[in-house]
Amino acid sequence: MKIDVQSLGTFNQLAHEGAEQATRSMAQMTGIDAEVDVTKISLVDRADIGEELGDSEFVGVQFEFEGALSGDTVLVFDRDSTDEIVNALMPGAAEDPSMAQSSVEEIGNIMMSGFIDGWADYLGAGIEHTPPEYIERSGADVLPEAPDTGETDQVFVFRSEIEWLDQSVNFFIYMLPEYEPMTEMMSEHAAAGDDAIPIEKLEAFNRMTRKGTEKAAENVEMMAGIETEAEVSQISFAPIEDVPKQVGNDTYVGTVVEFTGAPSGYLLVLFDETSAINVAEALMPMETDGDGLTDQHKAAIEELGNIMTSGFVDGWANVLQQTVEHTPPRLVHDMGRAIIDPLAAQLGQHQQHAFIIDSKMKTDEVAFESTIHALPNEEELREALDELLVERAEETEADAEQIF
Amino acid sequence: MKVYDGSSQTEQTQDADPERIKVGIAEYEVTTDGAVLTTSGLGSCIGIALYDTETGTAGLVHVMLPSADEVEDGNAAKFADTGTELLVEEMSEAGADPNSIEAKIAGGSDMLDFSESGSGIGDRNVSQVRETLEEYGIPIVGEDVGGDHGRSLRLESNTGDLVVKSANTDNTRL
Repeated sequence: MKIDVQSLGTFNQLAHEGAEQATRSMAQMTGIDAEVDVTKISLVDRADIGEELGDSEFVGVQFEFEGALSGDTVLVFDRDSTDEIVNALMPGAAEDPSMAQSSVEEIGNIMMSGFIDGWADYLGAGIEHTPPEYIERSGADVLPEAPDTGETDQVFVFRSEIEWLDQSVNFFIYMLPEYEPMTEMMSEHAAAGDDAIPIEKLEAFNRMTRKGTEKAAENVEMMAGIETEAEVSQISFAPIEDVPKQVGNDTYVGTVVEFTGAPSGYLLVLFDETSAINVAEALMPMETDGDGLTDQHKAAIEELGNIMTSGFVDGWANVLQQTVEHTPPRLVHDMGRAIIDPLAAQLGQHQQHAFIIDSKMKTDEVAFESTIHALPNEEELREALDELLVERAEETEADAEQIF
Repeated sequence: MKVYDGSSQTEQTQDADPERIKVGIAEYEVTTDGAVLTTSGLGSCIGIALYDTETGTAGLVHVMLPSADEVEDGNAAKFADTGTELLVEEMSEAGADPNSIEAKIAGGSDMLDFSESGSGIGDRNVSQVRETLEEYGIPIVGEDVGGDHGRSLRLESNTGDLVVKSANTDNTRL
């Protein structure tokens, strides 16, 4: 089954408009001004869905939908932000748990009806949904179980992050369509052009990214002696102007390289400042001069970024049977979005959408977390995947076990 | 994109603090009621802040690439040339007089530019903004461009002040 970049773009836009519609409904009801910050479609391992929700408490509503598409969708609010929403709808309601709950249900129902109707309109087909079910859980547990996809452990997820303008409170819409109908629909909407991507290949690529992340984590472990785990890897697709939003606005330290070969692109290894200090100190035998992030810390991060990059890229090169070379790492220490923005702009000269490969690793030993983001040239990535198909024609199922 | 004219405000604006409006990448906002317009994480991107000294109308656009001619894309606010034009037009529509508009610009850093030949996107963004503003006869009265660091902006539209924040240095007020 093949999907094309055009249909990925269309479906992403559809999810984004749906989220905007839902947000407008809420604004009308409550007078709270909010905005859809980012919408992306990701191919992600079932086990990793909702990882970005952390340990926060969430409340919200869940629906099942079926028809042209089937699956589950949820709208979740950060628990701390619900009081304001509930009170805006019905003053004082937040004091009374049952009234608070029914207010969340009501808002959720109206928001999500708009979201689902948008899909039905576009697809020109009915999508029925169940009444809202109130949910209240922490972290990823608030999300419905990912649909069983049978042969693959990967699923497509649509995610919108919505932000209040005056406060740093977010809420999220997740849509988890069943894999088969979703991919069928995407392939139906695929133009019969040259830019089609076999979904199996995209999945193989995703697995390869996980291997690359594991290799990078091993390198950290060897070098710093800190037991490090690869946590998440996913491939997402978003308009180029949304790419910088994948990274927070805090200050990060890390390295950036440009890689060449097939595909070419950019690879970032980022640490938040605390992680950078902790991991650098694990690497350094001596005491540092001064407080905070010193030049010695930065030198250690540069070295670490380099071996993580090599680990990651090697895995990639192996599978694609291509040489992937990269420039020496450039050390960065700046606002997250400002780091990634010039890279997105450079890709944006030739493409409107981008594939973003995100990986995350962390350790329990010290407070340390690192993310790897790769931004491949879209056209070259497609060609590389195509190449993989041609060279391994006997393995069109792209059995990752065989490839690796 | 919306024009904020004060008629459709939420209860929050009853507070003493002016309303804060975020401007994302490849987006713009115009205000006529003293709201604070902010945008964050400018690397090679550039923020163009326009302020009409007569009417107090203010606008901010966050552009990513130099020219709409180079890429096929319908979003005018993504490019330095069409983004600047769009902002001037929207401000005029909101009551601003192009003859009393002044510009302040920030961003266009050349951090992480891997291009080996020619000038980087940051530089080209800055040149394009200058060129387009000149076509409209709009003077640049303050700027903080280039260098190799990121910036976040805050346009205080009751005064026209543009506050530029960087990760590693103090704020600059233009």
